[in-house]
Amino acid sequence: MGVKYQGVQWNGNKVVYDLYMLVALALFMGVFMTIGMTVHPSGHQADAVVLLIRALGCAAFLMLTVVLTIGPLARMNPRFLPFLYNRRHLGVMTFLVAAAHFGLTVLWYHSSGPLNPFVSLLVSNPLYASVEGFPFEAFGLAAFAILFVMAATSHDFWLKTLSASVWKVLHMLVYVAYGLLVLHIAYGALMTEKSAVYVALVIAALAIVAGLHVVTGVREWSRDSGMKGLHAPDGWIDVCAPEDIPDKRAVTAPLPKGDRVAVFRDGAKIYAVENACRHQNGPLGEGCIKDGVITCPWHGWQYRPQDGVSPPPYEERIATHDVRLSSLGRVFVRVKKNPLGKEGAFIDVGGAAS
Amino acid sequence: MSLNKGVIPAERDDDLFIGWAKAPAIDRRFLFSAAPLLLGATTGLGWLVAKNLSDPGAGKWDTTATHVIEGALSAKPYPMIRVADPSAPFGMRTVLVVAQGKCTSGLDLAAKEGIPVKASGALIERNGRQMLEVPFSLDKWLEPVFIDMPGVVADPPEERLGRFALAGRIMDSKCFFGVMRPGRGKTHKACAALCIRGGVPPSFWARDGKGRESVLLMTDAAGGPLGEDILPLVADPVSADGEIVRVGDLLQFRADADAYRRV
Repeated sequence: MGVKYQGVQWNGNKVVYDLYMLVALALFMGVFMTIGMTVHPSGHQADAVVLLIRALGCAAFLMLTVVLTIGPLARMNPRFLPFLYNRRHLGVMTFLVAAAHFGLTVLWYHSSGPLNPFVSLLVSNPLYASVEGFPFEAFGLAAFAILFVMAATSHDFWLKTLSASVWKVLHMLVYVAYGLLVLHIAYGALMTEKSAVYVALVIAALAIVAGLHVVTGVREWSRDSGMKGLHAPDGWIDVCAPEDIPDKRAVTAPLPKGDRVAVFRDGAKIYAVENACRHQNGPLGEGCIKDGVITCPWHGWQYRPQDGVSPPPYEERIATHDVRLSSLGRVFVRVKKNPLGKEGAFIDVGGAAS
Repeated sequence: MSLNKGVIPAERDDDLFIGWAKAPAIDRRFLFSAAPLLLGATTGLGWLVAKNLSDPGAGKWDTTATHVIEGALSAKPYPMIRVADPSAPFGMRTVLVVAQGKCTSGLDLAAKEGIPVKASGALIERNGRQMLEVPFSLDKWLEPVFIDMPGVVADPPEERLGRFALAGRIMDSKCFFGVMRPGRGKTHKACAALCIRGGVPPSFWARDGKGRESVLLMTDAAGGPLGEDILPLVADPVSADGEIVRVGDLLQFRADADAYRRV
């Protein structure tokens, strides 16, 4: 939410967060290298460069695993929102660690030979038709290409240029990258190292990421299912009773075409807006009203509940929906969005309606 | 119509984290509790992963000192120098010669073949098997010498030991001897194939029925260098029927590339 772009957006929260992540990365790398260099008897020490390549690869996989758990954790518990707010920095940091792994691998294993290092990366193991022997490098390279595109377009400039929906689709490729990384590890390290610990760790990581997404998905699905059948034939839907909406918070409801609407309560007034934030399609309905404006839980972008427009000097806009109180005292929302910038009809449970 | 006009009591206005605002107390407490857990888990994972890495095996690559040897130079089937060594089983030891990097085939030794030489480079060694890593330019590491080397010739007579069926893995000798530790397994397959493509001698790392490890220099059935047909099989478990031939102190396993089968 900015009127001008900065290279990297830092504030106090992000600086503290980034420092913690750097310390965690340094600890992982330091412990990995120290143990790796000393775990075997004298004369059997591993090569420091090979160890470094492995440490960087493990760190990148661990970091991407953490990145993918943040979203569902934040949906389940708002205490994880600080991690989500800073997730982009962790994502870029993950790319940089992966880039170091990639660069060092190409340099150490594929340079100074009779082939171009990048050609060697793709042809030195030619068993593309083999199930067991398939070159794990190809999976890693494809995952790295996705991470590169994501890191290169991570800035808000690209978010605005590509539009939030296109940007979101592009960045959903992170799940493809994660799958490719699991294959990269399964076809490489897991076929080389003998310890079952590595198989267990990769399965655990995969189970955590998949499990958290399934749990949040089921929660959302069951919540939406409870609202099915509430659609009125006249283009309005029955969302809830006014008292179901906590003050300064929202209740969300699915719309017939798949979008969601967020119904906010600010004191005695009830407003409805589309649920997707203009920034990264964040779930506005999981945010709150702060200082009189709807505030996205992901990155703090704000919109006036009356007309969906960001307070000056910002200019982002989301659509409002009209709301009305039914004869049975239920909050009804018009399915059709209002044009951007148009004030929506609202309910005042303290007295007047609209 | 019964309408509840009351307002649900507000949660604390500041209990939702907003990135650009001061973090709510509840989030600060959570983060202060989570930080040590995060750092501890990260440290523990680093320890767990590194602790279970398999033993890369013996092997060293000494780039800190220049190792000098004198002996008879041979380029058949791969560059090597045979050094007189009365303490060795056959009165000599063979030191394979590879260039820096992965392009040993660029070494032009034709003019020096068969003559006594003094060579200097970095020593690569695994379980008594030696290799000298040298620069490309001959004048930087090789000079003819006039020494008496009783019992040592560049190309000693061959002793045919019979045909054997062996199972094991094809390794690039340079990495396997100690340049990369570990220099084996699928994660090293591409590097090994690239090294062998560049002229590094392939070795057959075999174990007999009693688990004893043997490392044999691989050649084609006629005793010449193996071609690129062998590259797809590098690093994978394979078996082959071939002939074992002793040349000086060195055992060669002679089989064409099409004799190898993936197991």
